[in-house]
Parts: sequence; structure tokens; C-alpha cells
Amino acid sequence: MLKVEGINVYYDKIHAIKDVSFQVKEGEIVALIGANGAGKTTTLHTVTGLIRPKSGAITYFPEREANLYDLTKMPPHKMVEMGLAHVPEGRRIFLQMTVLENLEMGAFCKGKATKEDLDRVFARFPRLQERKKQVAGTLSGGEQQMLAMGRALMSHPKLLMLDEPSMGLSPILVEQIFDIIVELHRSGTTILLVEQNAEMALQIADRAYVLESGRVVMEGVGSELAASEEIRKAYLGG
Amino acid sequence: MVFLSFINNLINGVSLGSVYAIIALGYTMVYGIAKMLNFAHGDIIMVGAYVCFFMVSSFGLNPVFGILSAILVCTVLGILIEQLAYKPLRQANSLAVLITAIGVSYFLQNAAQLMWTSNPRIFPAIFGNGGLQLAGGQLMVPYKTLVTIGVCVIIMVGLILFTGKTRTGKAMRACSEDKEAAQLMGINVNRTISITFAIGSALAAVAGVLLCASYPKLIPTTGSMPGIKAFTAAVFGGIGSIPGAFLGGILLGVIEIFSSAYLSTELANAIVFLVLIVVLLVKPTGLLGKRTSEKV
Ligand SMILES: Nc1ncnc2c1ncn2[C@@H]1O[C@H](COP(=O)(O)OP(=O)(O)O)[C@@H](O)[C@H]1O
Ligand SMILES: [Mg+2]
Repeated sequence: MLKVEGINVYYDKIHAIKDVSFQVKEGEIVALIGANGAGKTTTLHTVTGLIRPKSGAITYFPEREANLYDLTKMPPHKMVEMGLAHVPEGRRIFLQMTVLENLEMGAFCKGKATKEDLDRVFARFPRLQERKKQVAGTLSGGEQQMLAMGRALMSHPKLLMLDEPSMGLSPILVEQIFDIIVELHRSGTTILLVEQNAEMALQIADRAYVLESGRVVMEGVGSELAASEEIRKAYLGG
Repeated sequence: MVFLSFINNLINGVSLGSVYAIIALGYTMVYGIAKMLNFAHGDIIMVGAYVCFFMVSSFGLNPVFGILSAILVCTVLGILIEQLAYKPLRQANSLAVLITAIGVSYFLQNAAQLMWTSNPRIFPAIFGNGGLQLAGGQLMVPYKTLVTIGVCVIIMVGLILFTGKTRTGKAMRACSEDKEAAQLMGINVNRTISITFAIGSALAAVAGVLLCASYPKLIPTTGSMPGIKAFTAAVFGGIGSIPGAFLGGILLGVIEIFSSAYLSTELANAIVFLVLIVVLLVKPTGLLGKRTSEKV
């Protein structure tokens, strides 16, 4: 569904992403794990066009191999129409807009937010329905993460990309968020999950890539990586 | 008599303030979304006034047509300025953008001087010279004043409804908060910025016509001082806030008229800026300015 091949990304002179390749197949949960500063966010930003790679290719093919889209040439605001939704690091909800308005923005590419779509998101996140008239800045951290995810779901994504959904949340909330990710996956959404919390991510991932200083240093099946000596030492605290 | 002249000054203050408010609304919207101070905004007012002047006085057309032409020309001009001067600087630092805006301002003034000379033109009395007689004929409120205040209120209410209820208006608010996140929602940020410039410039055209209807001397620098004062009004009310720009504009107009009526005509401008400084010392975000609250 998504194929990233040998991308190199720079911030001025800083070579942040070095020759990174990975792919996400339809129906998978793929995790991208790595320490703070490894280049996970930069990689996602490059996929959605917020930053452009100096070299390399990013191809997206939502319907098998039928239609190929070169994402390195596509303006970022076109991506969501293609079924790519990106929940950015730090949630980045619109704090001065209401919960409902945030969800409406999620459906911007569809024109109008339909009642069915809103009901579907509210069914998944009942807290959002209770607070739909509330200004988003007044929500708690966990509610803000739910809003960020609900907002992305309004566009009916085929591929949902989540950047550190567990960041800053208590263990109970992290469990909840991960349960929701698994449910979304079961209902047919392909997921690319970026996490520093390798333990949680490897539990639910089909496959995972480990990033270190801008390079992919390891890849494999989620459970195998979780069992590997190196990963245990570096990311799972022994 | 004292009371009537007080009322008269108040009405004049609100009327002048309404013009400032319309200009300030344009300033504040552009600032809120493009995050830049468009110092050429005042000069677009002047262009609007000239366009209306020529349509009405030189070609003898109906004032309604004059106003519509001014709006059309200024809207196109605003979009052109944004595309040619500001868009290439989207990634540049804000100082470069500010200097460019000042450059555009001088460019417009000089171009106006070349095309239209600096000889003052007397703007036609497009709203007539009549007025509403009040208090048994002791107080007359000119129609131009009523139109100015009415138009200002309509514009403010219209903008609040537009940004609060429409899809494009909400997209503007989303862009003003977080452009990257807005793009991820599928919002075309460049297009949204262009729409904002178009609206701001259309408002500037209306302000130019209303300003010259009350203060008819028209020269290439006509927009300059009202532009700076409207910027002050926008900051005073809380830059980025639509009700703030309205409130700031009205207050500024009233303070200016009262200062010149009761204190000193020469010092009126100084007093206006003194009030601004005091307000900003007490409340740095302006009267209705928003604080952004972040939660973790
Ligand atoms: N806007 C930026 N400007 C310059 N360097 C950046 C910027 N954003 C990230 N970096 C650098 O790029 C590297 C990767 O960062 P990032 O992608 O945020 O990592 P992660 O998401 O894995 O924590 C880091 O060394 C970081 O310092
Ligand atoms: Mg990150």
C-alpha cells in the first residue's frame, strides 16, 4: 500500500533521514520504533509532504497495484483525499475551535461532515460526544488524543499514520488508545504506528522497523523483534 | 448645548472609529491567517478611494457602481500583491516580510503619485449632504455617518458569521492556528491565504470610500495615517480577534475625536498612541486578545 525507497531528508545541512526504506502492506499494522531524535517524525512528515526528500521515492497504491501515486510530488493537502490520514506528534488539534469543529475539519476534504460520520466517531469515542460543544483547548491530554484520532477518522482513511499516540499519557490511557488502534485495524484500516514506546508498539504490530540516527537498523516481525536480545537491551529495558 | 455637542462628538467619534474598525478588521484577518503585518493595507484604501473618485467624478457613474469598482480593483490588487510580493517569502523570516510590506506600501503611494499626481482631489458627496434631524432640529446626523456606522456593524457581524459558520471561514481559523495540521486536513493553505487577502482588500476599498465620504481630501498618502491608526486599533483590541478589531477601532475613533474636541487638536494623535501604550502595558494581548492555552 505504501512503499518508501531510499529516502534522504535534510534540515539545511543536517542529514536527518539516511537512505530509509520500508513498506506497509494492506491490512497490516507496521510500527516504526526508535529513540527520541531517531527520525520517526521526520519520516512521517516526508510521507505526507510536509518535508520533501532530497532523493528517494515514496509510492502509494491504495487499490493494489492499480493506481500508483508518487507522494513526493503531491501537495500535502491532496493526500487526505487519497485516503492517507496523519495524526501528528503532539496531536495538533485546533485548540481554539470546538470539538465538533475539529471533527468537521477532519472531513474537510469530503465537503461536509455527515451525521453518520460524526456518529461513527462518537460511538468510538463517547467522551467526544459529551464534549462536542467544548473548546478543544479545555480537553484533557487523553481526550485530546482521542479528538486527534477521531478527527483523522472523519476522512475514512485507508492508511492511518499515528505519531506517538501514547506520548504524555498515563499507562491506563495508553492501554485505551492502543485498544482503539487494534479495533480500527480489525475494522479494516491499515496502520503505520510511530512509537518511542517500543514495548506497546511491538505487542500489536505485524511488522516493525527500528530507526536509529536516521537509519533503519533492524526490521522484522513484531513478536520476533520483541523477543530479540538487541531490542530488549536497547528499547525494552533489558 | 454642552450635552448636544457631546452627543455630536460621540457620533463623529463612532463614525471615524467605524472606518478604523473596517480597516482594522482587514489587518487583523490577514495577521491572524498569514501571520504578517501587511503595512500596505492602508494604501489599498487610497487606491479604492481613487477608483471610486474617478468612476463617479470623472465618468459620472452612479456611486454604487463606483463602490463596486473600488471593491473589485482592490480585491484583485490585494491578491496580486500577495502572490507577487508575499507568497515567495512564505518561508522567510518575519523581518524580511515586514520590510517587503513597507516596500509595497511606498510602491503603491509612488505609483499613485505618478498616475494621479499629488494634487488633492475632492471626493464627491456620494451619500448627499442631508441628514437625520434629531432633538427638534438641534442635532443633525449626516446620512454618510449613518451609512458608515451601519456598514461597519454589518461587516463585523458578517465576518463573525463567516468565520464561525462557513466551511471556508472555519478553514481560515484552522490555518490561523496551525498551518501544517490544516494541510493534513486537506485544507489548501495557499488558497486560504489568498481568500483572506481578497476579503481584507475588499474591506479596505469600502473603508476608503467611507473615509473619503467624511474626509473628502484625497491624495496619494490619504490611506497612510488611517492605516497606521487602524493597525493600532487592531493591536489595541487584540490582534487576530474580529470583535477586538471592531472594539479597538470604535474606541480609537472616539478617543481621537474627544481628545481633539476637549483637549487639543494638535495632541489628538499623541493621546491616541498614549492610550494604546497604557493598554498594552496593562494587558499585552490587547482588550480582547486571546491567550493560547496548551494542555498535555
Ligand atoms: N525542524 C527541524 N529543524 C532541524 N532539525 C530537526 C527539525 N526537526 C527534527 N530535527 C532533527 O532531525 C532529527 C530527527 O528528528 P525527529 O524526526 O523529530 O525524531 P523522532 O520523531 O524520532 O524523535 C533529530 O536529530 C532532530 O534534532
Ligand atoms: Mg517524533
